[in-house]
Amino acid sequence: MSQASVLPPPAWQGQAYSTKRFGVSITDCDSEPVQTPGCVQAHGALLVLRPADLTIAQVSENSAEVLGAAPAALLGRPLHELVGPAHAARVQTLLQQPEIDCNPTYALTYVPAHTGLALDASVHTVDGVVVLEFEATGREAGQQRDFYALIRRSVAQLQRATTLSELGDIACAEIRALTDLDRVMVYRFHDDGHGEVVCERRRDDLPSWLGLHYPAQDIPEPAREVARQTWIRPLRDVDGGLAELVPLSHPDSGRPLKMTHCALRGPSVMYTEYLRNMGVAASLTLSIRRDDKLWGLIACHHYSGPFELPYDLRAACELLAQIVSLQHAAAEEREHAAYRQRIDTVQQQLVTQAAHEGGLAALLDGPPTLLDGLDTGGTALYYRERWWCAGNTPTEVDLDALRDWLAARPEMQLRDRPLFATDQLSAHYPPGQAFAGVASGVLAIVLSRSAKNLVLWFRPETTQTVKWGGNPHDKPSVVGPHGARLTPRASFELFIESVRGRSKPWLAVELEAALRFRMLMMELIVARADQLAGLNADLARSNDELDAFAYVASHDLKEPLRGIHKYAYQLAENAGQFDDVNHQRLAGLTRLTLRMDSLLDSLLHFSRVGRVELQLEDCDVGEVVEEALDMVAARRGEKPTSIHVPRPLPSVRADRVRLREIYTNLLSNALKYNQQSKTTIEIGWLTAREAAARTLHTAKAEEATQAMHTKQIKHTSWPPGASEQTVFYVRDNGIGIEPRHIDQVFKMFRRLHGRNEFGGGTGAGLTIVKKLVERHGGEVWVESTPGQGSCFYFSMPAVTGPVSRV
Amino acid sequence: MTELPEVILVEDSDEDADTLQQAVLRCAAKVQLRRVPTGDACMALLQQPRTALPALVLMDLNTPGTDGRETLRMIKSDPSLSTIPVVVVSTSANPRDVDYCYRAGANAYHLKPVRYAEHLEAMVAVLGYWLDRVVALPGRGGQT
Repeated sequence: MSQASVLPPPAWQGQAYSTKRFGVSITDCDSEPVQTPGCVQAHGALLVLRPADLTIAQVSENSAEVLGAAPAALLGRPLHELVGPAHAARVQTLLQQPEIDCNPTYALTYVPAHTGLALDASVHTVDGVVVLEFEATGREAGQQRDFYALIRRSVAQLQRATTLSELGDIACAEIRALTDLDRVMVYRFHDDGHGEVVCERRRDDLPSWLGLHYPAQDIPEPAREVARQTWIRPLRDVDGGLAELVPLSHPDSGRPLKMTHCALRGPSVMYTEYLRNMGVAASLTLSIRRDDKLWGLIACHHYSGPFELPYDLRAACELLAQIVSLQHAAAEEREHAAYRQRIDTVQQQLVTQAAHEGGLAALLDGPPTLLDGLDTGGTALYYRERWWCAGNTPTEVDLDALRDWLAARPEMQLRDRPLFATDQLSAHYPPGQAFAGVASGVLAIVLSRSAKNLVLWFRPETTQTVKWGGNPHDKPSVVGPHGARLTPRASFELFIESVRGRSKPWLAVELEAALRFRMLMMELIVARADQLAGLNADLARSNDELDAFAYVASHDLKEPLRGIHKYAYQLAENAGQFDDVNHQRLAGLTRLTLRMDSLLDSLLHFSRVGRVELQLEDCDVGEVVEEALDMVAARRGEKPTSIHVPRPLPSVRADRVRLREIYTNLLSNALKYNQQSKTTIEIGWLTAREAAARTLHTAKAEEATQAMHTKQIKHTSWPPGASEQTVFYVRDNGIGIEPRHIDQVFKMFRRLHGRNEFGGGTGAGLTIVKKLVERHGGEVWVESTPGQGSCFYFSMPAVTGPVSRV
Repeated sequence: MTELPEVILVEDSDEDADTLQQAVLRCAAKVQLRRVPTGDACMALLQQPRTALPALVLMDLNTPGTDGRETLRMIKSDPSLSTIPVVVVSTSANPRDVDYCYRAGANAYHLKPVRYAEHLEAMVAVLGYWLDRVVALPGRGGQT
């Protein structure tokens, strides 16, 4: 029933794999154990040593031809019996270095007596065993090549590459110069796995393969995995044959040898046949890695016969591959530096614009708009439950469906890179075919955790002509000369295909820019959220005030209303008789109506005080006080009153009208609540420094008062903030306030006395004073001694300058 | 001759005080009604040397100075006064006020309707209930 059971078990089931024995039985390239082929290329010999005593555990079957000693003579024997104690000691020393693991390093040069031909040996460890590989040195006896000298020039050139293709060209030229291989190519993997020759250097008589595409199955996954793990894979001779290890599995562990890092690793039969079909005699493959991904290969083909790549040249090539990989990102960055800068500039402007105008819609209002950044045909933003589009985009119905599909994509769930990009939407999302014309390419980023708010960029379809090096639609496996098994394709005829539903691909620089844009937008959204939180706090505060209003309205305003109703009722009952009693009732009705009116006025005034924008200016407080005194003059009446200003009042930054209102309220209270034969009022101020000293003094005095257990005397409540502000005060010799009522004097409509005492009033004055002072960034408080008088203080920011709204 | 039972009205509104006076007349209650405009005045009155505690305190909540809530709390937390029935008569239907008063020991909570007829009727009912129906503590006057 299960799909897995369809595959037949491999031919080598239950025993060690050997390419030599089973290589032609492969039915599925993706299952071939290319890392444990059990065989080496026959031109060299391989020894597997035990690390403890360097005795030989496995040896390639060709040891007699290469090393001059048959496997039977070597197995179980210590290494020094073959190469001598000095060389064995050298290997022992190298094994002390941790870098030796999976990293073949030159160990020794050995000249077997039976040939007199010098062999270089490199050593590495893998899975706890020591691997020693012998190959011809490829040079005259005594001659040493300095591979650093070989590539110094190449390295300098690679570092100067300003584009990816320049980097590739230099790499091809330098490797060809170094090795004299017939064809050197940079082979780039596309997102769908197929490859393209993007750079090439070749022998002049060979046809160019530049620009040709090759299907993904030409390089099966196991081969790609090896390419990810190693920098270099040489094949000396397609027809050179294989030499099997003896024994095939390690005698101690029973495990096959992992040969991923061996230069002598035996190639798969599929690979040698593929090369033979192309007429290739020898090959060298180097990896180009980018951010731990296999970006491509430097693929080298040799046609004119076997190709020697001795250890030192191999090391030079390996180093070049590493440098190409290292320089890859830098070259691409240089290539797109100007573009990247343009995108960044536009995006910065956009975010500034959006921040300024307080809405993401600004991104599409322009100039610039989102369209001016990335090179796209259209863009769409989904935010606040609607689409904002510019340029050529799918319809909103199509966008809705695409958004829902994108929201479910795993790429969009990634925490750091919630980004989806394709140059062929319909391949992932079949409904995309309907709008492939405007949106074959889609780049999407997420603006919120829910993946609901998105920015999308669209690229139109560009019909492309792809030249395939052979028909990519051929089945990868056919019945070949070896029967029903996998055979690599034999035809490399040019196959030209017109590709639809594709856009220009997205560049890495564009993806990174999109992600940077996302970060900017997220910051903006977070900033907006902070702003909203602030507004919500304001709203909560005004809701509290509204609550208080509702309460006051239900209570204080109803009371006169009830009286009015009562008199009206009684008048109605006694209609027609306008005697003195009824006249009194009418008078009461009028009075209550007026009171109602003044209560309502106070309420409305108070709510205005909380809302209206302050008109801040530098005010001469002395002048303001003069005006306030004029306004309360009527209240002074006949009673002797002395107004005392101990020193000239300063200037302060305030709303002049509101400041005057503060003073008229305080002064009218001072005049009202006074039973002395002569009213004395002092209007003064303290500098911030004096206020600070006073705060300290008050704190000490309170301590002292408490120490003496004296309950009486002044109620003091100097706020700590007063020490940084200028403090103004109005002191009277009036009736004072009981300490326990001090907290109530600033409450709306709270009165401490009967409504007809002290000239009445609504009880809103000090509430309004408090609100006004707070709006100016200050505080208000009172000191009072019953029977002796009160002193009302208020503070204002000491420095002249803009005052923040409270 | 025993003194008439005393009813203290804490009320700063003359109109509402008059309505209560009308209610006393309407139900022909034999009481001496003493009106004080503030909570402080009420406390002063209660703390005077007296032979009997008042039969009832009718308490407006929104009085100047010490308000009705505070006065209620002071009466109910003073062992020598706490047995006096305190009936709140207020304009406020706010649940917070109602809750506060009952927690503070109010014996009842009545609303003052805006309509005069209803207001008068309510006060007549309140007086009738507390003066005629309720069994008072001994030594407090009232019906025997």
